[in-house]
Amino acid sequence: MAVTKNTPAKLPAGKARHSRLTNAYKYLTDRLLPRSARPKPATTTSVSTSLQALTAAALSLPGLIPTPVHAAEEEASLLYGYYEESSRNLAGVNSRFNPIVVDSLLGSSKIKLSDRVKFAFNYAQDVWSGATPIATAPLSFKGNREGGVISGATPFLQNNNVLFDRQLNPLKQDALTGQLVKDTQLVHTLSAASPEVRRQGDFKLGYEWNEVSLDVGGGISVENDYESRFGNLAGRWDLNQKLTSLNLGLSYTNSDTHAILDHDVTPYIWNTSGGYEVRNIISNNSQITKTGGNTLLQGNRQDWGTAFGVTQILNEGALLEAGVSYNRSTGYMANPYKTVETAFVDPSQTGDVLSGVAIGLLEKRPEERNQWTENLRYVQHIAGLDAAFHFDYRFFHDDWGINAHTFEADWVQPIGNNWTITPKVRYYSQDAADFYTPFMVSNQALNKNAVDANGRPIYVSANNPNNGQVYFRDADFNLIDANGRIVDENAINPVNKTVPFDGSKLPANYSSDHRLSGFGALSGGITVSKRFAKGVTLEAGAEYYTHAGSLKLGGGGEGSYADYNSYMVNAVLKVDLSSLSLSSAGSKHAEHLFHNHHGGHAPAGVMFDHMLDKSGDIMVGARYMYGTQSGNILQGSNSVSDQAIINNGCNGSPCFTTPTGMNMNMIMVDLMYAPTDSLTLMLMPQFVDMNMTTRVLDGAPSATVEQQALINHHTLHEHTTGGIGDTGMYAMVKLFDQTIHHVHGTLGLSAPTGDVDVKFRDTHRIDAGFQHYGMQLGSGTWDFKPSITYTGNIDQYSWGAQLSGTVRLEDKNKSGFAFGDIFQSTAWGSYKLLNWLSASVRGVYTVQGSIKGEFNGTFNKLGPVDYPSSYGGRYWDVGFGVNAFVPSGDLQGNSLGFEWLQPVSDDVNGYQLQREGALSATWSYAF
Amino acid sequence: MKLMQQALLIVLSVCVTGCTPVSPWQRGKLASQQMALDPYPMQNTFQGHIYNSREAAMGGNSAGGGGCGCN
Repeated sequence: MAVTKNTPAKLPAGKARHSRLTNAYKYLTDRLLPRSARPKPATTTSVSTSLQALTAAALSLPGLIPTPVHAAEEEASLLYGYYEESSRNLAGVNSRFNPIVVDSLLGSSKIKLSDRVKFAFNYAQDVWSGATPIATAPLSFKGNREGGVISGATPFLQNNNVLFDRQLNPLKQDALTGQLVKDTQLVHTLSAASPEVRRQGDFKLGYEWNEVSLDVGGGISVENDYESRFGNLAGRWDLNQKLTSLNLGLSYTNSDTHAILDHDVTPYIWNTSGGYEVRNIISNNSQITKTGGNTLLQGNRQDWGTAFGVTQILNEGALLEAGVSYNRSTGYMANPYKTVETAFVDPSQTGDVLSGVAIGLLEKRPEERNQWTENLRYVQHIAGLDAAFHFDYRFFHDDWGINAHTFEADWVQPIGNNWTITPKVRYYSQDAADFYTPFMVSNQALNKNAVDANGRPIYVSANNPNNGQVYFRDADFNLIDANGRIVDENAINPVNKTVPFDGSKLPANYSSDHRLSGFGALSGGITVSKRFAKGVTLEAGAEYYTHAGSLKLGGGGEGSYADYNSYMVNAVLKVDLSSLSLSSAGSKHAEHLFHNHHGGHAPAGVMFDHMLDKSGDIMVGARYMYGTQSGNILQGSNSVSDQAIINNGCNGSPCFTTPTGMNMNMIMVDLMYAPTDSLTLMLMPQFVDMNMTTRVLDGAPSATVEQQALINHHTLHEHTTGGIGDTGMYAMVKLFDQTIHHVHGTLGLSAPTGDVDVKFRDTHRIDAGFQHYGMQLGSGTWDFKPSITYTGNIDQYSWGAQLSGTVRLEDKNKSGFAFGDIFQSTAWGSYKLLNWLSASVRGVYTVQGSIKGEFNGTFNKLGPVDYPSSYGGRYWDVGFGVNAFVPSGDLQGNSLGFEWLQPVSDDVNGYQLQREGALSATWSYAF
Repeated sequence: MKLMQQALLIVLSVCVTGCTPVSPWQRGKLASQQMALDPYPMQNTFQGHIYNSREAAMGGNSAGGGGCGCN
């Protein structure tokens, strides 16, 4: 049954009159005001016959735009962004590391819960991978050099023997003459990280009075090694007929660092007989502990922020915003992965050449930071071109000694047909922090021999130096114990007890983080946007960024060794929900899709279940899938013991580890368009991320030192990968279409846009190689994906069946393997419980072949998951789902679906972790 | 409070010289998309996140909170 909005006959008389007044008012204001300035319905006002009076009255309503906030009131947006840095200049050393890349996904939705209550939810996910500077040192320290098991430069921070002249200039040996020459060239030391995923969810709940609004919000950001929780309050007060707005904000953030300290550079941090206690002395407001084989650094920080701003409409075509903010941060603010390379030079040396030992010290930052920002934003309408010129300036100042200026100018130029093009230029410059130093030289020996209160050298037993027993020499050079008794020297095997350097002779704070150095950055970019009919907007943006010491305002920036370039690109899809819900034709059509198409959508886990009805139709949607595996290892359908895995799981090679859990998250964007009544085209980009935990098998065979390092690498931390997955392109063709029965076929191609060469970071200078097959982000091959779908419906019942396949069109991908082909059959039935809600039951049978080929690069096989024969199998699942459709109101036309797939029977190839289930959730909007 | 005064002062001083009354029906241009203070909020969130992880200056025109270990 079709449900219409605001049916007057159903409303009480007073309400009906009000509704008609509101409609008349909406009709007029829709034509008088731009879309973004459209008033909200259903708020009482007197309707004057005078258009001016009407408009004026309309503008006194809450939510009207003259306050310069222009985003649509109800909106869903999705952004994909990519960032990549250029390779760092390592002064002739050929680095084996790829530079930093970031894949970002942002989702944002805003809805009105009532006329005055707004709710916004944002989700963000970033995947960081690649190499980054962890220290800086003179080139002669050889921080990046060939060494260890792998070829190519690896990071060396510890126990580097270094030479200086009397003025403490670094010396290097000339390759030809063998002479020591002064060389002050600096270079970053690079180290790579395994991919890391950050997720953030936050919300904002707002209430609007006529001239005042109040927002309360909060959120959480989670990474493997960092978790941040935050809350905020914001208020806005419009005054002076909304020519002026005052904004006030308050925020609080509490963040925990729990970082596993890197062990690729060995030992990563200063490690002497003082052990962890001494490490804790030199790190501040943090604790370093040894936990389960990991060296864990923990710290906490808190941030309070306040902001105050004024927005002022200056005239018909200009507005200005001025703001100040103050942030106070306390606690652990250092980066646990950054070190300061420090050369210890014994001052008692004589001669022209001083030798020293350089080690990496964990950086140390003040525990307090007070930050002030003043910003100014000016927007000027350019009449002849209908363009807008935006100019922003921001001044930042903190008590770490950093002053920073940001200038940005944008020219937003509409060019007709709802296209807008926006070139942008940005300049940023900052001073170095007071405690920034590329590296340090300390005028003391790294270690010296310990003496007692009388100046006697102290000895300990080399066999057991930490047993608390100390020894001395008497006048005849006999070894004596603390009580003066002569002891057997051969049994004790005495060595000098050493004490580490005096930490108090180091500066209070020090950091070599290049982000605290003095530099400037110039960037330019362009954004193109196109607004389509029906409230859909697509945006694409690109920016190129140059970071250089020489670009610092006033000169004196960091040397050119630290320069780099980067670029970022992004694409945004935005759907204006409020503009859609007002179009009754659109919503009726959306309703038609839900009610008549085939009695509602198929269960959320079924893809390609329906076509669009007629040419010109568009549908946008998002699909989320979660799959989880944990528990027993199966061989065929039976769980097996660790011993059975060790004996047979690795095709005759030694078997050390087995996975304990694996989770997969996938976000897909559905974009559907019908060029004709019987053809629907579909584009489906994907964003995936996965994590996996592994344990050592009970009774695993003994491992070599190198294997043990890799085993620890796998079992001590969870592994994550993530980024863009494969991209699907589909054409759906109507084959049979009757009142009850419908059949359509789908021909699809999956493009290999997902990476299949995701690697672990190195460990102990061993190339840890490719991540497991199942942790790669795509198939790496072009895949053919045909399917045929039948659906039917009578009254409240609907049903359907689908056969689908995935055929790999190539024998192997660029990494040397191809996943097995997939065949799936499924059938379902659903019943409409309510006008807006249906429930479904589904059965699924899936067959997938094992992997063909294998990784063609370094790949360390430690467990069954690393063997191609342990992939694929035959699976039965049962699905339970619900579908909901919003039949009326502002969110009319939206549908939501959820389905849980419960494994019933697994018959796996080789040895595999048992499946626990899969969740599918879909949102779609048809218009 | 001193900061608030500064901000008010900036705006007021501009207004003394440049502000003209703008009637509600004269605000069509101001309400156009290109005149929005932040015409591309999603893109700015993404780019801001990258700047924030590569530059020392942080925060700006709102007190939102939040954070990442990327600094």
